Amino acid sequence: MTTLTLAKALNEGMRKAMEDDPKVLVMGEDVGKLGGVFRVTDGLQKDFGEQRVIDTPLAESGIIGTAIGLALRGYRPVCEIQFDGFVFPAADQIITQLAKMPLRSLGKLKLPVVVRIPCGGGIGAVEHHSESPEAYFTHTAGLRVVACSNPADGYTMIQQAIRCEDPVIFFEPKRRYWEKADVDTSAPADDWTPFDRARVVRPGADVTLLAYGPMVRTCLEAAAAAEEDGRSVEVVDLRSLNPLDIDLVAESVARTGRCAVVHEAPVFSGFGAEIAARLTERCFYNLEAPVLRVGGPSTPYPPSRLEDHYLPDLDRVLDAVDRLFAF
Amino acid sequence: MTVTVPAPTGTTPSGARRTPPPEPEDLELLLLIRHFELTLLRLFEAGELSGTTHTCLGQEYIPVALSRLLGDDDFVLSNHRGHGHFLARHAEPYGLLAEIMGREGALCAGVGGSQHVYHRHFLSTGVQGESLPVATGVALALKGTGALACAYIGDGTWGEGAVYEALNMAQLWRVPLLVVVEHNGIAQSTPTAAQMSGRVAARAAAFDVLHHRVTSLEVGEIRTELAPLVAMVRQDSRPLVVEFATHRAGPHSKGDDTRSPEEIALAAAHDWYDRYARLFPEPFARIDRERRELVERIAAEVTARPPSAWERP
Ligand SMILES: Cc1ncc(C[n+]2csc(CCOP(=O)(O)OP(=O)(O)O)c2C)c(N)n1
Ligand SMILES: [Mg+2]
Repeated sequence: MTTLTLAKALNEGMRKAMEDDPKVLVMGEDVGKLGGVFRVTDGLQKDFGEQRVIDTPLAESGIIGTAIGLALRGYRPVCEIQFDGFVFPAADQIITQLAKMPLRSLGKLKLPVVVRIPCGGGIGAVEHHSESPEAYFTHTAGLRVVACSNPADGYTMIQQAIRCEDPVIFFEPKRRYWEKADVDTSAPADDWTPFDRARVVRPGADVTLLAYGPMVRTCLEAAAAAEEDGRSVEVVDLRSLNPLDIDLVAESVARTGRCAVVHEAPVFSGFGAEIAARLTERCFYNLEAPVLRVGGPSTPYPPSRLEDHYLPDLDRVLDAVDRLFAF
Repeated sequence: MTVTVPAPTGTTPSGARRTPPPEPEDLELLLLIRHFELTLLRLFEAGELSGTTHTCLGQEYIPVALSRLLGDDDFVLSNHRGHGHFLARHAEPYGLLAEIMGREGALCAGVGGSQHVYHRHFLSTGVQGESLPVATGVALALKGTGALACAYIGDGTWGEGAVYEALNMAQLWRVPLLVVVEHNGIAQSTPTAAQMSGRVAARAAAFDVLHHRVTSLEVGEIRTELAPLVAMVRQDSRPLVVEFATHRAGPHSKGDDTRSPEEIALAAAHDWYDRYARLFPEPFARIDRERRELVERIAAEVTARPPSAWERP
């Protein structure tokens, strides 16, 4: 066991993947010399050279497009989008090429490209630097969409994403980059939880909180607080949004009878809407209350002074728990 | 990777070539912007500001030179490094600071902050490259009116594909678009040599867009040089790319300067501030003090204001 921050765990995971497979490349704006604005690629260029850790021009569309071309010829590019809000210039390549080519070729053509996106708010940044664009990508068939929430998962999931034959949109909760935890870097990969599986991170009996990325920690805190009120809250870290581990989720909700989905992204047309619909289909007769959604309002991300009003916090999650019981 | 910043030829950093004294109004504006930016960095350090900020230290002379070439009906599109662009356009430092701090009197009620200001024919965005197609549309709408659209972009932003879609349309449709390139030789941590193949001039030429490179650091000189060209943009309705060989005297945003001490020293050597202080001590010292005190008053007053209406619960 070693203690690592999430940023360092991701860094170590990428390093391991690059050692294991010479076809793994890292590319993005300022990822080389600078090591990325969050230092997630720190030291990789020094150790693997400029051929494998590539500082690109400011050209998100070009980054993903060239990654697709490299993948067509056997490479496994890991692209960094500097901030969530800058993925949109690349959206064309991601949605119309990366996602569709493998499907259109009925799987003959493989595009093992990972698009890493530091996501979410909570670090006092501004619009374009604090967004949660996951629903744009879960809506796009052909992409795996995952979100890590802690260092141990960061270490394993980034390696699983890199080894995966499908394109992966990999969300990293930037406000959790500096949080530390024990990471077992020696566990064999066969023992890792498959990266398209959800995980119960805190068992409970009365209500299920579903979260991913930055909100997992918030939900764990809410669960601890609710316990003081005598409520037993289960927290599920979805980890993978597409595919969605609906079996695990439905099992949990059928057992507890109450569920709230928590994410930073706006509630309207957010990923929570899909889960709420699926749970209504799967668990209708087990539900004691409607599935609730806790998330951001439908506005552009506010200036940093106001992000505490925007972001779901302990109080808003606990309020949802109250409403579930009051129904 | 070496930094290949085109050395200014008009004036050497030491001022060896005769430097014309700046007009008092220009010096006032230069120093207002300088102290505004320095104050922002100070407010950040003091924890009075959050978010991020990109200052234009060392590059202030560019919007100041352009200020008198632009008219009220012209539309300015700015980027992440836009405080100087704004202050050279509108004498509203209180409103801008209030916008950045989210205080009463903010230009956009504090919703936009440092990078997203929309105020009286001025619009900025923090997403690189996005502004140029928009500027082309604004220019198309202004065509024939004698007004123009002026868009500031950095050298790194020439990596974005939207830039080329815009240049093509701008020339194809003969729109009055002035593209001001602040070529400071770096994009965040990446030197131009590592992110740009070829030259801005050749890229403009590929679209038959006129290009003019400015190496002078002197506001008056630049203005004289550009006046007929800007007039041509209006009269003939055609796009023009003006590329300034400039230097970023400060970090990319706050503390993040990855350049070597030599590179930082080179950038500092091109800064107008010390040079003017040395060459024109009399008006400089006085105006410098006045502007510093003015910005101090602005900062104190704006800091004491209540939050902007939009921010009250
Ligand atoms: C589409 C997009 N990608 C990435 C960024 C992050 N970013 C902000 S400023 C910057 C560098 C810009 O360089 P340049 O255009 O040379 O302007 P300068 O900062 O030198 O004034 C980058 C990469 C962004 N704002 N927009
Ligand atoms: Mg630049």
